[in-house]
Amino acid sequence: MSKLIWLHEDCLRATHQLFTHAQDPAHDKAANAVYIWDDAYMTKMHFGLKRRVFIYESLCELAVDIYAGDTIETLKDMQHRLGVDEIITGKTPNPALKSMMHGLRETVKVSAIADAPFVQMDSPPELRRFFKYWNKAKKNAFLYDGRP
Amino acid sequence: MEKQPTQFPDRAALVAHVKTLSPLRADDGVSETRGGRAAAEALLAAIDPAAYGHSRNYLDGAVTRLSPYIRHGIVSLNEVRNQALEMGDGKAIEKFIQELGWRDFWQRIYAQNPDWLWHDIEDYKTGFAADDYADTLPQDIAAGETDSAAMNYFISVLKTSGYLHNHARMYLAAYIVHWRRVKWQAGAVFFLAHLLDGDPASNNLSFQWVASTFANKPYFFNLENLQKFAGMEAPCDYHTNKFFGGSYDDLALKLFPDMEAL
Ligand SMILES: Cc1cc2nc3c(=O)[nH]c(=O)nc-3n(C[C@H](O)[C@H](O)[C@H](O)COP(=O)(O)OP(=O)(O)OC[C@H]3O[C@@H](n4cnc5c(N)ncnc54)[C@H](O)[C@@H]3O)c2cc1C
Repeated sequence: MSKLIWLHEDCLRATHQLFTHAQDPAHDKAANAVYIWDDAYMTKMHFGLKRRVFIYESLCELAVDIYAGDTIETLKDMQHRLGVDEIITGKTPNPALKSMMHGLRETVKVSAIADAPFVQMDSPPELRRFFKYWNKAKKNAFLYDGRP
Repeated sequence: MEKQPTQFPDRAALVAHVKTLSPLRADDGVSETRGGRAAAEALLAAIDPAAYGHSRNYLDGAVTRLSPYIRHGIVSLNEVRNQALEMGDGKAIEKFIQELGWRDFWQRIYAQNPDWLWHDIEDYKTGFAADDYADTLPQDIAAGETDSAAMNYFISVLKTSGYLHNHARMYLAAYIVHWRRVKWQAGAVFFLAHLLDGDPASNNLSFQWVASTFANKPYFFNLENLQKFAGMEAPCDYHTNKFFGGSYDDLALKLFPDMEAL
């Protein structure tokens, strides 16, 4: 069984923590990384050609295979063909991507790994107005890695 | 299932390939801004957080243009902040780090309240109800052929480069929502379709802030302000931007005749 890295539009960076999570000491071969070029999804997200070229160009600098198709169908197909037992991806607030992850979880384990946080806080800030958030965030925002 | 190519003889070949994958968008233009980590690192090395603090509101100020890279995780906010810390200390870089905080703030809201993204979070504070605003973007705005030379300039920059300075985004959003009385959602879709950094949270929640559905009052501007911050780049003379002329009080009376006093 193997792991598969699914990169989506929020995590196009080789140093994202999801790659560390994907390292499996039991396998000497690194997990494959894929990006699914999903035209219908991009249209739903209002991505124009400028953005699509920007994303494609960014992908070309990464060790990632690009496949065109519906995201869930393509990933499920790969999961079966390659015997994938875990899909590792980047955590996102985007509900459309979250619902894809939810759909995949019917048949495979999906781990969504958070990016390095901008600022760490002991308790969740109030998010009604920026300055309520900032009064809390500024305690660590000026520290390296956002924490003491 | 066919693996797509990742090596091309030149950029034109890459663009041609992306067009074959995006049949409905094949007629659109492409920005000169390059994707990828190498381009992001060059911008990151060139940031000037201290100059940013006093010049960021001017269209030719020391802004970073890192947003498309941050938006797609090509660089993290953490990396940008850490880089700023290496370039200066507390007071000088305060404003810069606070602006990074805006992105973190919007992303946290997105995670906690995704249903806020396309719906009015609060009522408009303009004296108008949501139904008083048009549902669709007027054609002259989409085409950059409005009666304002400055707005046409911003629309053209947005459409060709996929980037607009923050202040230009505020001007154009306020023009769409308050001068043209169009729902912020229609403006937000227009921006998302063109911005390389188009982000549902930063974009839509900023639009709601301008509109006043996520703020205590509407954001609007006058010609004097436009000339001061944008005059070095955009055509801001009175004759081609008449309806922005006047004091804030005069404009408030014209734009929001039924609004309670600010
Ligand atoms: C109507 C409107 C729509 C907007 N739409 C978007 C959008 O779709 N995507 C987007 O990333 N930003 C959006 N912004 C916020 C802001 O305009 C851009 O992040 C900024 O102009 C990007 O340019 P820069 O990288 O040179 O920013 P800099 O001023 O150099 O700031 C550095 C980074 O901090 C973050 N940042 C700075 N100011 C803000 C802010 N006010 N809100 C959120 N993040 C901020 C960005 O990640 C930016 O790259 C919008 C603002 C308005 C008023």
